[in-house]
Amino acid sequence: MSDLDDFKATYFDECSELLLELEEQFAAIEEGDRSSDRLNAVFRAIHSIKGGGGAFGFQGLVGFAHAYETLLDHVRDGRVELSEPVAALCIRANDIVADFVAAAKDGTELEAGYGAEEKHQFDALTSGDPDMAGEPMEEFDIDFVPVMVTIAGAEDDDVVAEEPLSLAVLDDAFEAPPLALEAGHWIIRFTPHSELYARANDPLLLLRELGTLGDIKVRAVLDEIPALADFEPFGVYCSWEITLSSDTVTEAAIAEVFEFVEGNCDLEITRREAPVAEAALDAQIEAMPSFAELMADVTEPVAAIAEVEAAPTAELLSFADLAESLKPALKAAPPLMPPPLKQAAPAEEFEGENDRRSGAEDRRNGVQSIRVDLDKIDRVVNMVGELVITQSMLTQQMDETLRARYQELVRGLEVLAQTTRGLQDSVMAIRAQPVKTVFSRMPRLVRELATKTGKKIRLETIGENTEIDKTIIEQLSDPLTHMIRNSADHGIESPEKRLAAGKNESGAIRLSAEQAGGNILIAVEDDGGGINRERVLQVARDRGVVGPEQALSDEQIDQLIFAPGFSTASEVSDISGRGVGMDVVLSNIKKIGGSVHVKSWTGKGTRMTLRLPLTLAVLDVMLVKVAGSPYVIPLSSIVETIQCARANFSRMPTGGQVLQVRGEYVQVVDLASRFEMTTEVERDNRFVVLCEAEGGVKVAVIVDDIIGQQQVVIKSLEENFQSIEGIAGGTILGDGNVALIVDVQGLKSATAAHKSAA
Amino acid sequence: MESLAFKDDISGSVAAAANSLQLIAFSIGEQTYGVEITTVREIRAWNGATPLPNTREFVRGVINLRGTIVPIFDLRARFGEGQTSPTKNHVVVVMSVGEKWVGILVDAVSDILTVAKTDIHNVPEGNSIDTELLNGIVTHESRMVGLIDLHAVVSGAKMDS
Repeated sequence: MSDLDDFKATYFDECSELLLELEEQFAAIEEGDRSSDRLNAVFRAIHSIKGGGGAFGFQGLVGFAHAYETLLDHVRDGRVELSEPVAALCIRANDIVADFVAAAKDGTELEAGYGAEEKHQFDALTSGDPDMAGEPMEEFDIDFVPVMVTIAGAEDDDVVAEEPLSLAVLDDAFEAPPLALEAGHWIIRFTPHSELYARANDPLLLLRELGTLGDIKVRAVLDEIPALADFEPFGVYCSWEITLSSDTVTEAAIAEVFEFVEGNCDLEITRREAPVAEAALDAQIEAMPSFAELMADVTEPVAAIAEVEAAPTAELLSFADLAESLKPALKAAPPLMPPPLKQAAPAEEFEGENDRRSGAEDRRNGVQSIRVDLDKIDRVVNMVGELVITQSMLTQQMDETLRARYQELVRGLEVLAQTTRGLQDSVMAIRAQPVKTVFSRMPRLVRELATKTGKKIRLETIGENTEIDKTIIEQLSDPLTHMIRNSADHGIESPEKRLAAGKNESGAIRLSAEQAGGNILIAVEDDGGGINRERVLQVARDRGVVGPEQALSDEQIDQLIFAPGFSTASEVSDISGRGVGMDVVLSNIKKIGGSVHVKSWTGKGTRMTLRLPLTLAVLDVMLVKVAGSPYVIPLSSIVETIQCARANFSRMPTGGQVLQVRGEYVQVVDLASRFEMTTEVERDNRFVVLCEAEGGVKVAVIVDDIIGQQQVVIKSLEENFQSIEGIAGGTILGDGNVALIVDVQGLKSATAAHKSAA
Repeated sequence: MESLAFKDDISGSVAAAANSLQLIAFSIGEQTYGVEITTVREIRAWNGATPLPNTREFVRGVINLRGTIVPIFDLRARFGEGQTSPTKNHVVVVMSVGEKWVGILVDAVSDILTVAKTDIHNVPEGNSIDTELLNGIVTHESRMVGLIDLHAVVSGAKMDS
C-alpha cells in the first residue's frame, strides 16, 4: 500500500497548495476582481481537490466539493451572480473544504452533517436551473468507480449500445443546417479500411475538406461495432454517411477530396435531386452493406501492424510479407485487452485526442518547478555551509610566503571562493519563497476582524514578492496574525471616533515587506490611535514590570507591550488596549533570529517592524574569546564595542555593575564570571560588546578579546546534547573547533533570574 | 551437502551471537570498563574540546565530528574521581546513545572481549554511583570489567539537575 500512500502524500501536498491558491484568488475577488481567470482558477482548484479526493474515496470531501463546484460552475456561466453573500459563502466553503482535507489527511471523521448547511445553500442557489439541478453525481468524471468488463460474453451487444457516442461534436463543428431545401444533394458513403488509418490518414480532415465544398451533414454509422469481446484493437468499425448540399459541386470534386485515400476506403457517391428526409437517410443507413465482410480480410494484417509497432526494431518489410510471417504468432497470442472505444469512432475522438495531446505537451513544456523533499534541500544547504567553512579555512591558511610562491593556487582559491559564494546564494534561493504565501492569508483575517469589531478596515499589502527562507516564512504566520489582530482590535478606532478625529471612516492597515541588506523588514502599520502610553505605563507599574520611580522614554514604554509577562494576562490587554498575544510575536520572531520594534504616534498610528534574517542557515557573527575559548555573538544584535579601559562603569549598591553609555545605564554581564570560568586577561585589556536584546533593551557583555567578524553555520547543541542557558547553539570555525553562540536575550533574562534568586 | 554444511555454520554463529556479547574494553586508571561494541561509532585521540558553560564538571565540552557537535563526557569525573588531565594519548570513544552521539573520554582502549551473556553478574548493592552507572559486571582473565550504562552516564549534565 506504500505506493498509494505516496500518492496520498502527493495529493495532500497539492491540496495545501490549492487551498492557498483559493485564498489568493478570493482575496483578489474580494477586492472586486471578478475576472473569469480568477473564477476559473478557483474552479480548477476545487475540481482538482475533488478529483483526487474521489480517487482516494474521501466521500464527505467529494460530496461537498461537488456541490461547491456546481455553484462555481453556475457563477462562471453567469447563472448565479457572484454577489457579496455568495462570495462570503464561497470563502466559508473554502474553509470547510480545508477541514475535510485535514480530516482526510489525519484519518479523522468530521461530525456528521458538517458543511451540510453550506451545501444546502449551494443547492438552493443552483436549483433554479433546470439542467443542473438534478445532476447526479455519478455522471461526474471524477468518480473512478472500477467497472467490471465482461470480456468473454457473446451476447452483450448492448454493452456497446450503452456507450453514448455523441455525434453532436461533429454536427456542431460543421453547423449543419437542417437537411433539405437546396437543389443539389450528394450522398457520400465513406467506409475507411484499416490501411487508411495505418497510413496516418485522418477521416476528420477529409470530412473537413468536404465541408469546404458546401454544407454537409455527417452521420457516423456505428452498426458494425461488435461486442466488446470481439473487439480488435486495430479494427475499423465505423463509417460515415455525408450529405453534401451544394449546387455547384461535381462528383469529380468530391472524389478529389478522397484522392489520397483511394483504395483504402470504400467510397460511394450518389446524387439526390430532392432533399432527403431524415427518416429516409436512416433507412439508407440500414441498407448499407455488411461491414463485417469488409473487415474480415483486414483484421489480421491490422493486428500485424500492432506487432510491428510493438517491435520497432523490426525491419519494415512489405505489408503482405509481414502479415504472412506473423500469422502463426498472432494465433498463439493471448486475447487482447478490450480496446478503448475510440477505435469505433476515430473522427470524433481525434480532435479531442489532439487537444489532449497538445495540452499534455504544453504541460510538459510548462513544467517549471519540481517537488523536492525539504530534507533533501536542507542536506544540500548544510553541505554548502560546510563548503563555505572549508573554503574560508583554506583561505586563512594562505600566508604571504605561500601566496608569493604558489600564485596558481591563490588564483584557484579565489575562484573557489567565488564559486562557493555563488553556490551558497543559489541554494539559499531554492529555499526562498515569496512572503505572499503568508500575506495572502491576511486579507480574510482583516475581513473577519472588521466584521467582529464593527470597524471598517482596509488592508494594503506591499512587497509581497519579497523572498525569504521557507523556514522563516512558516514561522511568520502566527506573529503576523497577532500583529494584525492587535492593530485591528486596538489600533484602529471605531468609525465614529475616526470621523470625530477628522480621519477617514475606514482605517487602514498596511502590511509591507522589503529587503534591507542582509535582513528582511516586515512592517504592520495602522493609522489608528497609537499606543496609549499612560495606560501601558500604569499597568506596567501595577504589575511591577516598571519600578514606581522609574522614568521611561516614550520609546521604552512602547516596547513594554512585548515585555514578558506583561501581555500574557487577558485583563492586561483589556485595560491597556494593547498586547494581545504579543509575547507570541516576540518568542516566535526571536526563535528565528529576528527582532521586533514598535513605534507609535499618538493619534496617528502605530508601526511594528519585524527584522528577520534572510536565511537561517548562515549567521553573521563577531568572534570573541572568553577564558581561552571561542564564542560568537550574532552581529545583528551588536550595537557597538568599547574597550574596557575607556568604558564608564559604575558600581551598584549590591555589588553589580552598570555601564554608562550615551546617557543610558546598561546592565553588565561578564561572560567569564557568568559562565563560571577564570580568565587571566587584565580587566582594562578586555572589551565591552554592547548588545541589544529584544524590545530594544541593551546589555553590555564583557569578553576577553575580539577576534573579528565572519559567517558561520548554526549547529544545534540539542541534536546530541541539550540546550544550555545563555547559549543559542554552536558552530564550527575554520580551524575545525567548535565555538558557542551567545544567546544575548537568554543571557539577559537568566542574569535577572540569578539576581532575583540571590 | 555443501550448502547444508554452510547453513549449519551460519546458524551456529548466529546462535553464538545471540548468547554472547562483544565488548570494547577501556581503562580508567587501573580499572577496566566495557561497552557493547555495536554502540561504538568511532575511537579518536583526544584533541581538545570547547568547554560548555553551566554544565557539571564531567562534561568536558563539545567537539566537531565531521560537522556535527558532539559532547564529551569525562568518565573519570563521572565516577567522582576528579577530572582527567587529558593528553594526546587519551582516547575519546564516540558512541550512540539512543538517537544521540556522545564521546566518552577514557585513558586508553585496551581490548575487544567476547563474553557469554550468562557470565554477566549483577552489580552488588553498595555505592549508589556504581549501581547507577553500571549495568553489570563480567570477569575477563580474572579481572573485573564494569559494563557502562551509557544512558546513566550522559544524564544529569546540567548544573541544576
